[in-house]
Amino acid sequence: MFARNTRWPVISAVVSALLLGACAPTGTQSATTQPSASSGPKVLKMARNAEPFSPFVPWQIDDNPALFISVNVYDTLLRTTKDGVSVEPGLASKWEGSADGLTWTFTLRDGAKFSDGSPLKASDVKGSLDMARGGEKSAWKDNYKAIKEITAPDDKTVKIVLSQPYAPLLSVLAMFSGGILPADMAKATDAKDYDNALAWKTKGTGAYYSEGWKKGDPIVLKANPNYWKGKPAIDEVRIEYVPDDNTRTLKLQGGESDLVDFVPFSQIAALNGQSGVKAQTFTIQQSAFVILNTSKPPLDDAKVRQALNYATDKDAIIKTVYFGQAKFMNSPIPQGTYWDKNLPGYPYDIEKAKKLMSESSGKAGFKMDMQVRSGNTNFANTAVILKEAWAKLGVTVDIQTLDTAVVRTNYRAGNFMSTPSAWTNDMNDPTEIVNYAMRGGASPFSYWTRYNNPDLNDRITKADLEQDAKKREAQYSEIQKIYLDAAPLVFIAYLGATAGWRNNVDGFFIDGLSYYRFEDVKINK
Amino acid sequence: MGRAAYIRRRFLLMIFVLFGVTVVIFGMVRILPGDPAFLILGDRATDQKAAELREQLGLNRPVLEQYWMFVSGFARGDMGQSLLYRQPVGDLVLRRVPVSLALAAYAMGLAALITLTFGILAAINKGRWPDQLIRVGFLFALTTPNFWFGILLILLLGLTLHWFPVAGFGETAAQHVWYLFLPALTLALQLSAVLIRNLRGQVILTMRSDFVRTAHAKGLSGSLVLLRHVLRNALLSTLTIFGLQFGFLVGGAIVVETVFALPGTGQLLIQSITARDYPVVQAITVISAVLVIVVNLVVDLSYSFLDPRVTYE
Repeated sequence: MFARNTRWPVISAVVSALLLGACAPTGTQSATTQPSASSGPKVLKMARNAEPFSPFVPWQIDDNPALFISVNVYDTLLRTTKDGVSVEPGLASKWEGSADGLTWTFTLRDGAKFSDGSPLKASDVKGSLDMARGGEKSAWKDNYKAIKEITAPDDKTVKIVLSQPYAPLLSVLAMFSGGILPADMAKATDAKDYDNALAWKTKGTGAYYSEGWKKGDPIVLKANPNYWKGKPAIDEVRIEYVPDDNTRTLKLQGGESDLVDFVPFSQIAALNGQSGVKAQTFTIQQSAFVILNTSKPPLDDAKVRQALNYATDKDAIIKTVYFGQAKFMNSPIPQGTYWDKNLPGYPYDIEKAKKLMSESSGKAGFKMDMQVRSGNTNFANTAVILKEAWAKLGVTVDIQTLDTAVVRTNYRAGNFMSTPSAWTNDMNDPTEIVNYAMRGGASPFSYWTRYNNPDLNDRITKADLEQDAKKREAQYSEIQKIYLDAAPLVFIAYLGATAGWRNNVDGFFIDGLSYYRFEDVKINK
Repeated sequence: MGRAAYIRRRFLLMIFVLFGVTVVIFGMVRILPGDPAFLILGDRATDQKAAELREQLGLNRPVLEQYWMFVSGFARGDMGQSLLYRQPVGDLVLRRVPVSLALAAYAMGLAALITLTFGILAAINKGRWPDQLIRVGFLFALTTPNFWFGILLILLLGLTLHWFPVAGFGETAAQHVWYLFLPALTLALQLSAVLIRNLRGQVILTMRSDFVRTAHAKGLSGSLVLLRHVLRNALLSTLTIFGLQFGFLVGGAIVVETVFALPGTGQLLIQSITARDYPVVQAITVISAVLVIVVNLVVDLSYSFLDPRVTYE
């Protein structure tokens, strides 16, 4: 749900591209970096763009840096597959649902242990999930509200009873927020006076564990010798906080970091042109768009919104803003489960846009603000392109660069006409995005667009209850089509997550939900 | 008035200045639009949940009461709780102060070395090529933005020549010295640019004085005259600027800390302003103010050592 590409841009993308060009000849000096000695522990040094602020308690996490740690230290009952569209066994080796879809029985895998060596028990699963769904501090309760009761009939079996059928259940259980802690620790973290700093010392069944962390220090993850898949290949992961995009890339080139995240889109090609390093954009379920406030005339007229969509040259934005590292957005939801790949989106068609506008309540032309979060170069560049493009329709865009906090306050209160934004799926099931971004009538008001279509709201509720996958897919196709036609957003592009690494790093992969697991990573030689 | 009395008076004054600082910063962070509750809870938060959080954090109490809690807490050494991290502000801020302070001191040390070397070199070569070169070179340093200049240094000294690390803070004390060199140099070169111009002018001016001519006439060697007579007089005004620039250093270090990924107060300040983490912003500002005041006091006191004629009144 949170935009995962906001960062602290100190220098524009153009400047960084120049820099890379300037230092290209030095790329060959990678030989000076010492790969960790074959006898010593294998250490992976990562530089990351942000520091966590949430404690490492899965259901209390509300920031990406913390959740990226969480999936490495706390396993969930199920996992999302690498392609991000389905689930596979996690701590549960098998599961089965009753015919009415109300009772689900999970069998825990043999040999799963916490990082301190104590065995995982069904009571730990119950204790953790009870906190995730009902804990005072849980940030993700809504996802679990269909659950009536969780029981642990024996040490290996967990039973989840629902109050009504809930198709997204398995996807919800694969979400990071359902990470499993020892039952007593799970409970302790929910106490009012619990010291959040304690939670940075983890005790999970994941491939790694943390012995504690102090803000400002690197985060150190140690290989869990008791990991159920066997001890991971890398003994220690050291994650350093390097907020500046260019500095991170330079640290990679200089060999001070083995792996960096959030490589600017502008630098992907240049990095791949150098020896010693690689960079890649991974497909994740993320989309970039402009939120339109449909309660402000003439944006209440669907024809106006459709016109704005047709007048937006997505390919130009993809080329100039995202340096080709993005794809045309054909549907309101990202490319996860039940994404309808056959929807047309709004291909650039200025004639159609002009015609629609001339038939609309905005035909006389109008002025509208576009509130851009300061510090996000991608949004800022998008706004500049849109201002010029929409001028052809007689729309005067007033770009206002504001602090993120101010933009948030404004869109909550409805004090805006348009604002660029982005969405990332937290689970592979579309229930999250359709409930957040399409359901109207109550906060968050269909992603703050104030679009409210009772028929669509009903369809969203129905799709959550539908047990038959085929029928559900058809329902979600219909939902996507209705929302696309109504166009409360200007649909722009599907984005990816970027990373760069040294050639001796192998197996790094960002999955569809933008998680990455160090258990799959190796350092060669 | 003696030095001791002067110091006492300055400390008294400091209390008033600090009072002013607390009022201004307290007011400013609250005038900023943006609700910390929603920033902490995220977009999914309901209005009711946000209200509960505001209550819990004490954000809905009367402003005067909040101000009193901030000031009285500070006086007791309790800087409050970070809104974002739910941890004592002291834990977050105090362990970062040494990093920023070391960076500032390092930069000032380097700046002093650079200024003395190049300032004097320029002055004694007035109008000739070394003078021109120094003036143009440091003008470049002065007019180049910090972050860009830092990256240039990284490219040259870190990536190409491998003399210094690209960024980070290191782990041992020796590593800290090594890692801090480039950021300190970035700051020092900009700082020196101002100081060199001043010192050069002062040295040239002083060299024209009668007492310098007398010293030369006495048969003292040129370098002795320069070091003992000229420099001591010329340094006074440069030192004043030097002290004032400490404030610039505290401010300039924010950007440099980000570029070089140093875990100092500047970096934390940026995050905290964005997150509207009032207590952290307040604590860092007040601590920085104290540092600036103390350094300026030390500079003022140093006049009397450089020039015994200086008295304090």
